[in-house]
Amino acid sequence: MLHLQPQNLLIQKTLNESIEALHQDSPLTMDRIVSDFDYTTYHISNSAEDKSVLLLSIKTKAWVSASECQLDGSRTLLKFLADHYSPLGGLTIPAQMEPGYDYTLQLSLSELTQDSILQLSVLKTVILSYPFELAIAKFTELSQQQPAPIEAEITGGEVAANGDNTLFTIKYRDEENIFIKPSNDRITIIFETIFQDETDKIFGKVFLQEFVDARKRNRQIQSAPQVLYSHEPPLELKKSYQPPKVAEQSRRFITFVLFPRHFQTKELQFHSICQLTLFRNYFHYHIKCSKAYMHSRMRFRVDSFIKVLNRAKVDEDDENDESSADARQQARRTFTGRKIVY
Amino acid sequence: MSQSLRPYLTAVRYSLEAALTLSNFSSQEVERHNRPEVEVPNTSAELLLQPMHISRNENEQVLIEPSVNSVRMSLMVKQADEIEQILVHKFTRFLEQRAEAFYILRRVPIPGYSISFLITNKHTESMKTGKLVDFIIEFMEEVDKEISEIKLFLNARARFVAEAYLDEFVY
Repeated sequence: MLHLQPQNLLIQKTLNESIEALHQDSPLTMDRIVSDFDYTTYHISNSAEDKSVLLLSIKTKAWVSASECQLDGSRTLLKFLADHYSPLGGLTIPAQMEPGYDYTLQLSLSELTQDSILQLSVLKTVILSYPFELAIAKFTELSQQQPAPIEAEITGGEVAANGDNTLFTIKYRDEENIFIKPSNDRITIIFETIFQDETDKIFGKVFLQEFVDARKRNRQIQSAPQVLYSHEPPLELKKSYQPPKVAEQSRRFITFVLFPRHFQTKELQFHSICQLTLFRNYFHYHIKCSKAYMHSRMRFRVDSFIKVLNRAKVDEDDENDESSADARQQARRTFTGRKIVY
Repeated sequence: MSQSLRPYLTAVRYSLEAALTLSNFSSQEVERHNRPEVEVPNTSAELLLQPMHISRNENEQVLIEPSVNSVRMSLMVKQADEIEQILVHKFTRFLEQRAEAFYILRRVPIPGYSISFLITNKHTESMKTGKLVDFIIEFMEEVDKEISEIKLFLNARARFVAEAYLDEFVY
């Protein structure tokens, strides 16, 4: 499994199960909690009176910060989600959110289409995509005011000096944030990440270095976003970034520079956003994978060392005479089977 | 095997063979105790022999401390950068946690070294000395190889993962 998928398989499975059961006239009583990356939990439950109606609620750390992102006050996160989900078959948005959760959708099982199931399973990504959409809107606005010079796009040169300070922040984990900065010719996305232990930190360094170098080395992926990483907050953040009170040595900043070609059409846009929101998970997941591989490799190596060492042992059968079975029985052993040596 | 590795290993091999002449020796201080003299604070000088220090370079050294009934052999594994440092640390700790299976492995290395072995007269009585030395020499060869292989693998994996991720943005 190289890539992580944005959709939540368990949600898809649960919904398909419920629909299946409804068609067989034995609707399931559902009360299921499904978790996702970055402290996200979904709650899927039946309405008390009608078993063909499900409630899907989501609670995510990013909700508060994502709903604070605003461009000009005309669009809000709730409106964005309503626009996204209400055209889909079988979905309605209840007036009241489920207590303890951030957002709730009401699904009517009999009308649910495969497309709506797919869209429901990416609910978390859709919430996270809201600040990205805002940034793209802002980018369009800025680029119309001040068209980008052609060369800047090719060289990926310095940050255009415009006085705009729009910065969207997604606080998607306890200590880690995503910053999105639209400017007139690009959108800069900065991930802040910390490493829990020393090994992760060093492995992370190797991985990040490869992310930075990959584009230069491999001509095929030349058109991918530029990646930069640093220990210090990048210039885009200098003004607005407040370092946390606890100074964290392992804090790293990873910058992705998106050019218009990465979000030209709606599909490209959603695809890029999916990839970007999964970046941290993907990155840390592969660090863990390498550690696991290293571990199994060491296990193998230990076995081979033990084999070599056992060659050195004097064979027990050589010592004791084969025929004198009772002599061997007399050899006293401890409870754990060790020989007692006098 | 590189040119400078062979003399180094040969030197270690002969020194170990010379040091592994152990005999059963009961403690002079505590009655009914029989303990590895190299490990305990010792007042009688005749029980400890001259330590041997073999060094290939500042990063690869071996210290052999013989005594009348035990030999302690400590090994410094090459650590060129912080990745190798972490890998060596992980690997030796992994081995040390399985020290019972290795009989002669010391659970904690002596300060300044990556890994230590403690061979007592019990071991030389139940194992062939020549094969024990073979094991240690093979261990020294394999550890270096293993560390550099893991490091190469890590880089290759990182490269592959990064390219696969960025490839998703190419249309």
